[in-house]
Amino acid sequence: MAASEHAAPSPATPGWLVVVGQELRDLWVGGRGLLLTLAFSVLLSLIAYLVATNTDLNFLEQREAVGLVLQVTIAVGSLLALLAAADAVSGERERGTLENLLLTPVSRLELGVGKLLAALSLWFAALAVAVPYVWYLGRGVDVVDEALAAGIVVGTLLAVFLASLGLILSLFAASNRISLALGLFILLALYAPTQLPTSARRGWAGDLLLRINPLTAGEHYVGRILVDAHSWSEDLSWLVSPVLGAVLFAAAAIALSGRFIRLPGGFAR
Amino acid sequence: MTAVEARGIAKRYRSLVAVRDLSFSVEPGEIVGVVGPNGAGKTTAIRVLTTILEPTRGTFSVAGVPAARPTEIRRLIGVLPESSGYPERQTGREFLTYHARLFGHSRPSARARADELLREVGLAERGSSLIGAYSRGMRQRLGIARALVNEPRVLFLDEPTLGLDPAGQRQILATIRRVVGERGATVLLSTHLLAEVEEICSRVLILNKGRLVADGTVAEVARRAGAPRSARLRVPSTETERAAAALSRAPVVEHAEVSGGQLGWLSLTLVEADGRAPDDLVRDALTALIDAGVPVLSFELEGARLSDAFLAMTEAG
Repeated sequence: MAASEHAAPSPATPGWLVVVGQELRDLWVGGRGLLLTLAFSVLLSLIAYLVATNTDLNFLEQREAVGLVLQVTIAVGSLLALLAAADAVSGERERGTLENLLLTPVSRLELGVGKLLAALSLWFAALAVAVPYVWYLGRGVDVVDEALAAGIVVGTLLAVFLASLGLILSLFAASNRISLALGLFILLALYAPTQLPTSARRGWAGDLLLRINPLTAGEHYVGRILVDAHSWSEDLSWLVSPVLGAVLFAAAAIALSGRFIRLPGGFAR
Repeated sequence: MTAVEARGIAKRYRSLVAVRDLSFSVEPGEIVGVVGPNGAGKTTAIRVLTTILEPTRGTFSVAGVPAARPTEIRRLIGVLPESSGYPERQTGREFLTYHARLFGHSRPSARARADELLREVGLAERGSSLIGAYSRGMRQRLGIARALVNEPRVLFLDEPTLGLDPAGQRQILATIRRVVGERGATVLLSTHLLAEVEEICSRVLILNKGRLVADGTVAEVARRAGAPRSARLRVPSTETERAAAALSRAPVVEHAEVSGGQLGWLSLTLVEADGRAPDDLVRDALTALIDAGVPVLSFELEGARLSDAFLAMTEAG
């Protein structure tokens, strides 16, 4: 075949979109995406069964049951996004597959965007899995629409925040074991305030601790809407740190990708 | 326009200097072997020229494009990295299609390109198999196909036969020779197997401890090494004395004697080349034997091969 037949064409699809497509394929076709989602649906089934049983016994209000399922979904979904992003660059580096990607004309920034978006697909899959459970537990109390909307908004903000954090760790970690371990440690540290006794969470210091942490602030906001039946605008101040966390960390992850997706000592362009 | 031009390239990793003051140029269509012992800086030099590593000092251009425009360089080069990893859960076809798309091909065009390359490197039958099931030789051929996905003007192959058995090595070299012959691309082939260089390269660069210690054709480099010019030959044992006498009379032979007291084996030292090609000296020595009616059963020239030059230059360095 003549060489000119395949002469370098001008890009038909943006590089980041090609990367997203392949990353999604690697994650969901024969990858670990389906397995993780299946494991999550088993966990959710178990929780929903226990919660539904308690509701029948009037130990748990229906709104609380929906809130609990949604909070578990947000926690697990954003954890999965964090883990996928934490493996994105350090994993490629460790498996020796990064060099071939760096040898293409696609910019490092586009590689970062593609990998970040693909990691977020795990959160959206977790949310999709939770829809029937939310619908079943919330039937009859007019909370399903509100729960799904709150889940999409808050969960997406937290997933973007954590996936971006995972990508940043992945850029700098020497191995994917380190980036995964660090990601999990930070996630546990962020969730630690939820385990504090109620008395410790009162007062200005406790309030500040919950508000500046995007995870606790986001979950608190969801609880106010679903359990306490507050309006969306009533507690908007609790959304400040999730929004800031998502925007700042996503911007940082993308900007740093442009410079640090590379081999040690590598070109930054 | 030169295909590759390096001017004073240096690469330092903290206190370790991997490449120092590397300057050379490669003309279009040349197949240049880059050889050197482990740690000589071959892979680092290739990574700098392929825009993967940033040089600490110096500059370069590839296919006429200066180092300041790395994205443009990447569009024009094909690279088989040393010990490259491959995504185990992708098929060979999927891997090539993905990379063709990263180089700007539309989906149908990328698929067609992948199929064409799989055929070219002899993997058409295994294109739908997962890369995880590929042998090392198949992965190397897939890597060569990947390097050709953008019809490169300059091809960098870093240890393409590393870890392969002799049959696998031969197959890879044949693939390289074929695809290069068909495309007329410029090739930089890094290897530690000197036989590969002698077999397919028109020119050789020898690196040692990060420095370029030799640059020229295989014959030139071998001659420049100034290695001892000796040979060992075998004749029928009854002809040993007559062969030794005939060789002693030949002007190109400085010294000839029975090798290790073994009848039939002779060691000889050829005179200084003095500008003459090594092949001419050998021919004259053999002609002396043939003229004397002595049949030659085997003849092995020592000290005029690339391996001798390589050892002389890298051990001295």
